[in-house]
Amino acid sequence: MKPKKTKNGGNTSLVFRNRMYVFLIPALAFFLVLWIYPVLQLFYYSITNFNGINYDFDFVGLKNYQKIFENGTLVNSIRNTLLYACVTVVLSNLIGLAVAIALNTKIRMKGFFRTASYFPALFSAIVVGFIWSYVYMPTSGMIANLVTLFGGNGAAFNPLGNYRIALFAIAIVEVWKGFGSTMIIYLAGLQTVDESVLEAGRIDGCNEWQLTKFVKLPMIASTITINIILSVINGLKAFDYAFIMTNGGPGKSTKTLMFQIYEIAFTDQKMGRASAFSVVSFFVIIAITIVMLIIMNKREVEL
Amino acid sequence: MKMKKILALLLACSMAAMTVAGCGSSQSAETEAAETEAAAAEAQEEAEEGEAAEETIAAVPEGEGYNHEAIANAGDITLTMMVSGVAQGNDFETEQLPELVKAKWPNVTLEVTKLPDDNYYTSLKTKLASGECPDIILTQPMYAGSNSCYALAEAGYLAPLNDCDFLVNLANPAAVTYDGNVVTATRSVSILGTYYNKDMFKEVGIESVPATWAEFLDDCKKLKEAGHQPIVMGDKDQYVLQFGLYQIAANEIYSQNPDYDMQLRSGETHFTDEGTWDKVLTMYKQLYDEGYIDASQSLGYGASQSIQDFIDGKAAMTFDGSFNATALNAEGAGGAFERGYFPIPSESGDQYTATCLAAGYSIYSGSKYIDECKELIDYWYNGDNEIWDAQLATGRIIPVYGSGMDSIPNIELYQPFIDLMNEGKAFHWCNQAWPAGTESTMEELFSEMIGGQGTTVEDITQGMQDKFEDLLDE
Repeated sequence: MKPKKTKNGGNTSLVFRNRMYVFLIPALAFFLVLWIYPVLQLFYYSITNFNGINYDFDFVGLKNYQKIFENGTLVNSIRNTLLYACVTVVLSNLIGLAVAIALNTKIRMKGFFRTASYFPALFSAIVVGFIWSYVYMPTSGMIANLVTLFGGNGAAFNPLGNYRIALFAIAIVEVWKGFGSTMIIYLAGLQTVDESVLEAGRIDGCNEWQLTKFVKLPMIASTITINIILSVINGLKAFDYAFIMTNGGPGKSTKTLMFQIYEIAFTDQKMGRASAFSVVSFFVIIAITIVMLIIMNKREVEL
Repeated sequence: MKMKKILALLLACSMAAMTVAGCGSSQSAETEAAETEAAAAEAQEEAEEGEAAEETIAAVPEGEGYNHEAIANAGDITLTMMVSGVAQGNDFETEQLPELVKAKWPNVTLEVTKLPDDNYYTSLKTKLASGECPDIILTQPMYAGSNSCYALAEAGYLAPLNDCDFLVNLANPAAVTYDGNVVTATRSVSILGTYYNKDMFKEVGIESVPATWAEFLDDCKKLKEAGHQPIVMGDKDQYVLQFGLYQIAANEIYSQNPDYDMQLRSGETHFTDEGTWDKVLTMYKQLYDEGYIDASQSLGYGASQSIQDFIDGKAAMTFDGSFNATALNAEGAGGAFERGYFPIPSESGDQYTATCLAAGYSIYSGSKYIDECKELIDYWYNGDNEIWDAQLATGRIIPVYGSGMDSIPNIELYQPFIDLMNEGKAFHWCNQAWPAGTESTMEELFSEMIGGQGTTVEDITQGMQDKFEDLLDE
């Protein structure tokens, strides 16, 4: 029910009076000063040669933008980022969903398995990255040892040193750490599916696969949207593992957008150019997110 | 419903924006956390240097040039000092030094601030800009880091130390000499060299360390034929590429032209010049081509993992710095074996080393107590007093002169390098003279080359030149 209005449009609600809006001011001020203002400044710095220290900088017009387009760093990092995002989105959602469905059934030690699959999400990315660089280590790493144990050549197993697969190798770490969170959201979604609907399906003769496909999945469509959007955004801001495990290497093969921005800003000390890079990334990420959202929402309706 | 969609869209957009805007702040946290990894890299960045400068050094100590009674006549004074680093228990700079100074001169109170690197840089710039800089500050040789002595001297912030007494002990202060003026007081070094497993060398019949590049390759061959991995490197941490390359550059480039790096800035020389970096890169690449360093493995190895392999006795050599000596001398799974340290030999056999002066202390040109500070530094640096001993006891510096040298850990490893330095055959670490970022392009492209991406030596030198020009271009 809408609150009643007085003649001059004032709010007469006893619960939420207009003056309550005053309490929004601290939060809004915080938001404006620490968030909106810096974001706007990004646009401003992107046309300067600011180096992060010296405030006596000059305006350089679109030179920063020109530079990032012409030397190929932008294309390389966008390509890496998209690849990374695709792998993490697909894998973490497939695994998350599969595990959630499995753990939503009546099995023994359900609590233990749920905890176990969420466990990796509890560690910080730094720790996970560091441990995994030992897992991936050639010759004496965990996987290399297993390969050797089964008669393979463990010394040749070197995912982080290989141009073609280094990016996938770090994406898998992200999936390993992240699928637990995805799973929790799916699990929550699955538990909202009404037992009576499933019951009705069973009476109509559905087997488990049909129940999942035609009843459960459509009913958790909004959960799927949320999860996919969240993992897309997460994938697009990939930085941690590229920084910890490969430092962007070998060569430039794991330089993601965020890593590249970090490097330009803090290694090359070109804040202006890094800002330009951020502005471009900003639009790329927004475009991708909007497209994703539109597609997902359509799909949601269809389901 | 429509409202919901719009809201969702807005939310999504804002989250996307956050990923971009957030990278400033959130990454600083990430950076911090990843500092463990970066620490080694920093040690090397902090790098400091050796020599080269074009100016003739006007560092002929005049001895009497400043008022040596300044402190005695000053009355009660407070000197301020700012350094970078993380304070340890009973910290030398922040705890011991002020006490020792007080004991020597009861009228002097020394106030020391120690800030983590990033804070230090910001703080320093702000204080310099506002004219309230501490009397004594920590500076790096040449153009290394945001507190590089060349950049600060160029802006006129540093007082010349040409009349200081400690200079008689310093064989070659070129890396801290700007425009004829010594601007940083330093007397310790950092070394890049080749750690080797003496037992393994003996086992394959190598009697002495190689004296020429050809001999070096020959020794590698012997080791490889005997089934040993000659050299292990952690090229996944690309900065380690500098450890070998800079040694070769000292031999092949700077020995021919000590002013090479300075001339890069003026445009007289280029990375693409024949017989300079193309030669260095080709020589280093040879080690990968012959399998003396196994690229298929090294590209997946981190720096700490390669150190582990070396101390486990899985490889005969590794290129590394004096800053990692403790780790490289630890006992690993390979049991105890004797270790040695030598500079990569040159083609001609004429030996040079990438041994550079470490960071040191500068006096702010706007200080009210310039002579007092000089007197303090001269006392501290005379090589034989409690301050000197206390600093040596931290085990973090390798001095090139003075008492207590014998007690430095691993001094027998460093001695040949220090000798070369005192003969004037030591050069700075290349990146100290380059704008930060040039070396990462070199590392990236070199990794691509050894990783079989079709990158050529010419691509690397061209890439370095482009990046160098780009970074200097404001």
